Amino acid sequence: MIVTEKQQLKMLSSAEMQLLHEGSCSLLSRVGVKVTHAGIAALLLASGAQCKGDRIMLPQDMVKNALAQSARIIQFEAPDPAYSFTVNGPENQVKFGTGGQALYVVQRTSNGWVRKSAGTDDLKQIIVLCNQLKQVDFITRPVECDLPDEQKDVAKAAVFRRYCSKPINLANLVKLARLAEVLEIIGNRAHLSFIISLVSSPLVMDSSAGDKFVAIVQKDIPVAISSCPQGGSTAPFSEVGELLQLNAELLFGFVLANVVRPGAKVLYRGIPITANLYSDASPRWCQPDSIRRVALAAQLCRFYNLPCCGTAGVSDQAVPSAQGISEKVLSWVYEAACGGQYINSALGMLEQVMSVSYYQYVIDDIALGIVKEKFSKAQSLAISQLALSAALEVLGCFGIEPDEKMEAELSARIRHIENGLEPYNETYIEDQLAVIEKAVNKSSSTVFMKAARKGLREGYLYKGARLDASLDLAAVAERLESSEGLGT
Amino acid sequence: MNKDELLEKLEHSVVMGHLDADDEGYDGSMEGTPGTLELLEQALEAGIEPQKLIESFRVAMEKVGNLFASEEYNLADMLASAECVGEAMEIIESKLQVGNSSNKGKFLIATVEGDLHDIGKNIVATMLKGAGYQVKDLGINVPAQAIMQEIREFKPDFVGLSALLTSTMIEMEHVVRLIKEDSFPDLKLFIGGAPTSQAFADKIGADHYCRDVMDAMNKLEQVSNVS
Repeated sequence: MIVTEKQQLKMLSSAEMQLLHEGSCSLLSRVGVKVTHAGIAALLLASGAQCKGDRIMLPQDMVKNALAQSARIIQFEAPDPAYSFTVNGPENQVKFGTGGQALYVVQRTSNGWVRKSAGTDDLKQIIVLCNQLKQVDFITRPVECDLPDEQKDVAKAAVFRRYCSKPINLANLVKLARLAEVLEIIGNRAHLSFIISLVSSPLVMDSSAGDKFVAIVQKDIPVAISSCPQGGSTAPFSEVGELLQLNAELLFGFVLANVVRPGAKVLYRGIPITANLYSDASPRWCQPDSIRRVALAAQLCRFYNLPCCGTAGVSDQAVPSAQGISEKVLSWVYEAACGGQYINSALGMLEQVMSVSYYQYVIDDIALGIVKEKFSKAQSLAISQLALSAALEVLGCFGIEPDEKMEAELSARIRHIENGLEPYNETYIEDQLAVIEKAVNKSSSTVFMKAARKGLREGYLYKGARLDASLDLAAVAERLESSEGLGT
Repeated sequence: MNKDELLEKLEHSVVMGHLDADDEGYDGSMEGTPGTLELLEQALEAGIEPQKLIESFRVAMEKVGNLFASEEYNLADMLASAECVGEAMEIIESKLQVGNSSNKGKFLIATVEGDLHDIGKNIVATMLKGAGYQVKDLGINVPAQAIMQEIREFKPDFVGLSALLTSTMIEMEHVVRLIKEDSFPDLKLFIGGAPTSQAFADKIGADHYCRDVMDAMNKLEQVSNVS
């Protein structure tokens, strides 16, 4: 899918993004990242970093050099060459894939939706299904094999090798010691990429992830550096503060990658979502506040002209529903419009990242097809209109006739996504840096939660009505039944 | 200000989650005014008995619980109030050497080895302190042997284990097995974290699965009342 220049949505100005960049650099040079991995710390120190205790501080020049060196173009080849594609930092081509590490598969039964534990057979079935879904451009590991940790990587690679026709993203590596076997099984490593959560929020490098990251970068395999802070729990509740922290965590990854291998094939994967501070601090993946923040992270990535691994379509709903579909449509539209290029977790996901559903894969394939058509044919529409029109059409596709109330709710969600509530200026950024520094020094995420009270009252977390309506899934059931190789 | 007025103000300050003069409090307008810690100092200087202070905290937290239940308060508000009580209790205990004023029991809490997530654990720990439990928080990424060692030394009534990763659920199972093997007959085990469930708790032999902080508090209160 191509997003035209006119369709590109810039919710922040270049000056505002420059301020965020400078704030993140300030965070990296003042507060730094906690690194307890002696080898990685030594590597960074030898390349110009400084240390204070177990915190590694990166001077701005290191960040600048990493951004200049990092690969702009990453090729994703596929076992079936027809599915190969390129992600080019400065271009607006968008690819959608699966994702997850879901624990459960939600199945439709005569008694309604039932959740069961996911395992190796589901991995196989989902790959077989996604090979056939037109809107799936690449396949990221949706569920893990139900095997001991020592066997997971090899078993997963074997399933992908046997069944996957599209570019393969194994997501995580459970055991570094199995990497060589995984590469041998996959055969052509150009088919392969990974995702690594290198830094845990706020600003702590995971040593085990560090080892895996370095090994993958050394082998010149594409890897998305991922950070998924939750505003109000592991990052500031303020979107400005959360973006500052997220960007610092990801830039740290870019620095390390380019120290290990200049020109490293790394993608920027920022998922700054919010925590549900109304109730239990659970993550809000697909509510307007999170959709906005994740889209802003994509815009920030593209500000650097780096390859952007987006995330969109991780519904907060437990089972397929009208609410879930509307969340996904808005999320896809804004992530693509703001710069997402290699968009993970876009299909099949439910209940945050806990579940997937065969039905949901097909629903999403149909819905994403409509969204893509809107981008292609309705080029004169503002993104807000495109998003509303796509959501209404998708709901109609599943037998729902949206009424005025539904349309008003969707419009309210869109307004929340597009309209920021916070200032982007030096004073406010300095305030947010102070909150992050306090949380880091106190080693307690309750700092962020306590500091969230004012923002909660100012409406940072969207509070709207649920879209309730029954879905007509006859066409979905039919497509599933006619899919080849399922259930065998 | 007389003692009754001071106690009333202290209770109000806890309800408003106003920790100290630097804290903005419930509605963002309280910065620069005396918070729980300043009022506590005044109360101690005025010679108010610790038990009266503790009782005012109990009343305040009960009000906060009701405000949360009626959705007038959110999680951040409730946590701020609990933190006021937690910090105030530490001062009461250390300054007056009243011993263990947290008389509801000892709670050991940790995120298991391999897992660096602390938010759920921190919320529960803060709420437990606010509710009057003596809490020892071992932090994140805690090896099984360190947890076992602390059980022997701290002698908790309750142990809470948290894991946010599917991969570290296995470590949680390992810790629970070690605890069971070492035979602490009266120790109650609580587990929580996104990937865990009642079925998982049953499978590994944990006594209670906690869906969220309120679920943890309710289950703990039930267990405490029974024992």
